[in-house]
Amino acid sequence: MNIYDIVFYLFAAITLVSAFFVVTTRNIVYSAFNLLFTFFGVAGLYVLLGADFVAVVQIMVYVGGILILILFGVMLTNKITNVQIKTGTLQVIPAVIGVLLLAGVLIFKVFLGTEWKSVKTDIPVKTTAFALGKLLITDYVLIFELLGILLLVVLIGAATIARREK
Amino acid sequence: MSKIVNPSVEYPANTWPLLFYGAAVLILAGIMVGLSYILGQRHEDKDTNTPFESGMKVTGSARLRFSVHFYLVAMFFVIFDLEAVFVVAWAIAFNELGWTGYIGVIIFIGVLTAVLVYEWRIGALDFGPNGKKILKAQKEFK
Amino acid sequence: MQDFYNILPLILVASGIVISVVIEILSDNSEKILPWFSALVLLSASVYSIMLMNNTGTIFNGMLATGGNVYIFHFIFTIGAMLIILGSIDYIKKYGSYFGEYYILILNAVLGMMIMASARDLFMVFIGLELMSICFYVLAGINRKKLNANEASLKYVLLGAFASGFVVYGIALIYGTAQTTSIDKIIAGFVPLSHNILFITGLFLFLVGFSFKIAAFPFHQWVPDVYQGSATTISGLMSTGGKAAAFSVLIILLSAVAPSNANVFRPYFAVIATLSMIYGSIVAISQNNLKRMLAYSSIAHAGYMSIGLASGNYESIAGIIFYLAAYTFMNIGAFIVISMIEGENDSKLQLSDYVGLNAKNPKLAALMALFMFALSGLPPFAGFFGKYYVFISAIEANLTWLAIVGVISSVISVYFYLRVIVLMYFKEPETSVAVHNSNYGVLAAVISALFVIVFGLFPGTLLDLITSFLK
Repeated sequence: MNIYDIVFYLFAAITLVSAFFVVTTRNIVYSAFNLLFTFFGVAGLYVLLGADFVAVVQIMVYVGGILILILFGVMLTNKITNVQIKTGTLQVIPAVIGVLLLAGVLIFKVFLGTEWKSVKTDIPVKTTAFALGKLLITDYVLIFELLGILLLVVLIGAATIARREK
Repeated sequence: MSKIVNPSVEYPANTWPLLFYGAAVLILAGIMVGLSYILGQRHEDKDTNTPFESGMKVTGSARLRFSVHFYLVAMFFVIFDLEAVFVVAWAIAFNELGWTGYIGVIIFIGVLTAVLVYEWRIGALDFGPNGKKILKAQKEFK
Repeated sequence: MQDFYNILPLILVASGIVISVVIEILSDNSEKILPWFSALVLLSASVYSIMLMNNTGTIFNGMLATGGNVYIFHFIFTIGAMLIILGSIDYIKKYGSYFGEYYILILNAVLGMMIMASARDLFMVFIGLELMSICFYVLAGINRKKLNANEASLKYVLLGAFASGFVVYGIALIYGTAQTTSIDKIIAGFVPLSHNILFITGLFLFLVGFSFKIAAFPFHQWVPDVYQGSATTISGLMSTGGKAAAFSVLIILLSAVAPSNANVFRPYFAVIATLSMIYGSIVAISQNNLKRMLAYSSIAHAGYMSIGLASGNYESIAGIIFYLAAYTFMNIGAFIVISMIEGENDSKLQLSDYVGLNAKNPKLAALMALFMFALSGLPPFAGFFGKYYVFISAIEANLTWLAIVGVISSVISVYFYLRVIVLMYFKEPETSVAVHNSNYGVLAAVISALFVIVFGLFPGTLLDLITSFLK
């Protein structure tokens, strides 16, 4: 158990505990704020995996953007802050079967079937952003341009739904 | 069946400055909040828990219903934020990508510029009441 | 340069989108220009997809496939959307969403479908899926004042996002086990990979996400409400183009298992096919709203097509593609006729509004009768051969019981399709208010009717073409 393991368990604990509260809290504002810690914990895990660019994007887009959007949504909806979320459960049996199957596969294959090891080296980790940027423009350039069109659609769609009537 | 090997993650050995920094931030913040908690005075008066303890009386709840327009602006922010992420990824590798990369990004940005002008044109970026209209109405009033 | 020429249909539609945004910026009455511009873009894309049909291959490092059956799909999407646009010109004035963005969103949805059909990389599949779905979410609720439309849009976006989540989770597991997102590489290594339970789990999650998009039985709950609440023309596009695009991805997956006889998903597809056919056909009988009835019939048709996925041989792939081509034209035609009869504020959609239609407007009645005959699968229309090829492939794959279930539910479905015809022709109308039709709508319906008849009279030509590309 070295220092990295401790940091890993710290971030994992932050993620899991806050995710638990996101689901169980009855007040939607508390849910949203707990989501902040979930996103933050996941970003920490990305850093530990050496995925620095993804971690920065996680903080920038999810914490800085999407979470704000959720809070805006809460704020802009009349009297939602005091509303108790009604979470009725339907179709319990199929859901339990499905979740248990998926969880079983994941636990037995991923958790128990992987040789988890962390290698300690003296080589400084190189930033992944460079390689990512290069791939995005060379091998995946078509996806890059299509993402531009996808963002265009999202912008037009948002404006169409929320536009003022002519 | 072969076992999946975790893609080996390589950690640098000398990251103690980062850890030291992280610990310092946590300790400093802890001291600041903790000290004020210990040393601060406690009182329970009529206005202690109001938003402006020594200011004006609160006139109503802060849970007003805002215009959906604010949400639209927040959404635009997220989308252009994402666009910035992609452009940053390109910018970091700028030197190696050269002109082909430049053309790729120009197309990407061109598409999004077109839609930005479009948003401008249909008035999705106009905030609140129309200033020109108010000024015009004021002139007519005089 | 040859690469760019080979994906000309895609490039035409993509640049058409950007140009139509510019038109929207520059012009004050874009709602008059854009329908013609987008119809022209789609028409030229469909012409090029026929011309380039023999240039089979992959481009951009194996990201996209060109030519062959992919371009048959492109032809279906572009022509279908063009007919929908023709039908929309007069309809959306009545519907109350008379602005240019409607057409831009349709073009975008078509681009998404085309990417899904061409995609040979899981990232590409996902981008196409999202491009199509996001446009449909917006198009479903394009009229903000209608509560029905808002409900449809919200239901669709919530459930659709959930289904997309399944797809992404599946892609993550597939990438984790196969170490690649290239579909061709996954197919090449399919047999050893299929022993890995994690890979199968990923593929299963992927299939669940797409079963939602094709509106098959356990994932069908959104279909009736969304098709009923959306604009009629948009329901027509969602039920045909959206379904065909999702099937095109499933077919690529299926081509991995077809030769090796390792169809691990046969039980899954057999179950959803059986349930969708029976459920769709039986529930459709009790519907009085025509759009809702066609929604349930769309679930049933997803079931018939899934029979082909269950049998998993080359005949069944050809059968599904033929079926999709036939279904696209007959369903779009039916929805366009409904859109012309529909009154303001979602009125005149009930079965009772079709009583004695022949006396009020014989043109529309004849077209509707043709589409209902074709949908019920009676010869000599295209719908019959679609079902026939799929059932034959099931029998060849030793799934005779599935073909029998299909025949039984087809017989059940004949009742509710023919009921419309009986009401139109053999009942006297209570009032003699004439029903007006739009010229563009009739044109679109006539074109679809021509395709339905031609595919019905000469089914072999199209089927031989599809089969020749499969080999």
